Amino acid sequence: MKHTLLVAALLGTFAMANAGAATLGGDQLTISGFGTLAAAKSNTEEARFTRANQREGTAGTNTFGLDSNLGLQATYSFDDKLSATTQILSRKATGDSFTTELAWAFVKYKVSDEVAVRVGRVVVPSFLISDYQNVGYANTMMRPPIEMYGQNIIETADGADVNWQHRFGDTNVTAQAVIGIARGKTYVATNQSELRYQAPTAGFAVSAEHGPVTLRFAHVQAKLEVNDAVIIESLSNTLAAVGFRQLGEDIGVGQAKRLAFTSFGMLADWNNIVVQAEYGMRRAKEPVYLSDSNAWYAMAGYRFGKVLPYYAHAKYDGKGSVIQTPAALARIPALYAGVKGLLAGGDQASDIVGVRWDFAKSAALKVQVDHVKSGSSNGFLRDEKVAGKGVTVVAAGVDFVF
Amino acid sequence: MKKITALLAVALAAAALPASAETVVIVSAKNPASRMFSEQAAQFFLGKSTMFTPIDQAEGSAIRNDFYKKVADKDAGQVKALWSKLVFTGKATAEPKEFKSNAEVKKAVADDPKAIGYIDKSAVDDSVKVILTLQ
Repeated sequence: MKHTLLVAALLGTFAMANAGAATLGGDQLTISGFGTLAAAKSNTEEARFTRANQREGTAGTNTFGLDSNLGLQATYSFDDKLSATTQILSRKATGDSFTTELAWAFVKYKVSDEVAVRVGRVVVPSFLISDYQNVGYANTMMRPPIEMYGQNIIETADGADVNWQHRFGDTNVTAQAVIGIARGKTYVATNQSELRYQAPTAGFAVSAEHGPVTLRFAHVQAKLEVNDAVIIESLSNTLAAVGFRQLGEDIGVGQAKRLAFTSFGMLADWNNIVVQAEYGMRRAKEPVYLSDSNAWYAMAGYRFGKVLPYYAHAKYDGKGSVIQTPAALARIPALYAGVKGLLAGGDQASDIVGVRWDFAKSAALKVQVDHVKSGSSNGFLRDEKVAGKGVTVVAAGVDFVF
Repeated sequence: MKKITALLAVALAAAALPASAETVVIVSAKNPASRMFSEQAAQFFLGKSTMFTPIDQAEGSAIRNDFYKKVADKDAGQVKALWSKLVFTGKATAEPKEFKSNAEVKKAVADDPKAIGYIDKSAVDDSVKVILTLQ
C-alpha cells in the first residue's frame, strides 16, 4: 500500500515536472525537486544488499525501496544576500517503510561574491559527492558505492557552515567548513533496531576545479554517541562483571567516541570520457568497537551522445577495531569469541556495470548491475548465509529533477 | 557614423546569412566590464562564480544549445545536471532565469547591472554592451 502511494506521488510529480519549476509570489519563492523511481532485485535470498545505513534493501525480492526517493526544496530569497532554504527527502532508510526527513533547513547569507555563511541544518562534506549523493540525476551511477559511503553515515549537521569560492588563474577553488551536531538514526541488523545517535561534528572540504578535472579533499571528525545500544551495553556490562571493565568501556558507544574520516576524490569529464574516483579512510581516535577502514572506488565511462555506459570497481577493507582482544579473556572462550568477532574487520568488493541515458530533458534512465562479493569476513552484506558467495543486484529506473 | 556602419554590416550579414547567426555575450550598458573570454563567461553560466547573474535563453532553443556547446563544450543535459548539483545543495538558490526571446533577454540584462546574457548579434542595441562574440 505504501509502495502504491509513493509510486503515485512520484508519477504525479513527474507529470508536473513538465510544467517546470514553480515560482510563486513573484521571483522570491522557488520550489524545485528531484527524485528517483527505480526497481531493484537481487539474485539470492541468502544475503541482503542495502544502501548505506538502510534497513530493507533487497534479498532476492523485488523492491522500489532500494533506490527510489523524492526530494522537495523551497527557497525564499529575501534579497540578493539573504535567503532561506528547506529540503525534505523521502526514502527508505533505517525503517521498514518510506519516511520523510528534513534534509536541509538553513538561512544563507552571502557576505560577498566569494563568501557565504549558512546557519541551520547543513551538509557534512565527508565525501566527494556528499553535497548531492541523494540526487540521482546529478550522478552518473545509480547509487554511491556502499564500500565507500557505508563508512560514514553522517549526512547533515545542525550548526553552521562557511563556503568560500575563488578563482586562481584557470583554477576554481571552493572551500567549505562546517561545525554542528549531527543527529540521526542508525540501523542495527543484529536485533533489527533503529538507534538514535548524536555526534558533535566538525569538518572541511577543499575542491579545486581546473578545466575538466575536479579534485577534492575532505576531513571530518565526530564524537559519536549512540543511545540504548543494548547489545554493546550488555556486552560491556558482562565484561565489567568478569573483571574487564576497561575493555567494556573501550568497546561502548554510550559515551561519545571520537572518529575521523578523510577522503580524497576526483571527477573528470574530458572528451566524452567520464571518470569518478575516491579513496576514504575511517579511523577511531578513541578506543571503540567500530572498525578502522580503508575504501576506494573508481568509475570510468564514455559518453556516446546522450548514452553513457560505465564500469566501476569498489573495494572496502575493514581493518578491525583499534582495540586488541586481551589474551586473558581467552579463559572464557564464548566471550572471547564474541569480542573477537565484534572487533574484527570485514571486506567486500563490487563490480558495477551500468548505463545512463538522458532520454528527455530533466530526466535520465539508468540500468545498473552490481556484483558484490564479501571477503573472508563480511563487509556490508547482511544476513549472509553462505560466506563469500556473492550477490548480483539488478536495478533500473528514472532520475528526474523539476 | 561607426554605429551606422556597424548596424549596416549587421543588417547585411543577417540578410545574407540568416542561418548562421552570430551569438554575442552581453552585459548591461551600466556594467563596467568591457571584454571577456568565453571561459570567463562560462563561469557564470555554470554556477562557478556568482559575480555576475546569468540570464538564460529558453530551454531547448537552438541558441541556448549552441551557446553551451561553444563556451563550455557541454550539452543541455550536462548543464542541467550541473545546476541540479548546485541547487540541491543550497549552493545556488535557483537555475538561471530564462526568457523566451532575444528581446526579453536583452531587457533583463539591460535592467540589471550585474546580469550577463547572450543573444543573437542582430538584436543588440544601446541598452546593452557586447563583451564577447562567439565564433
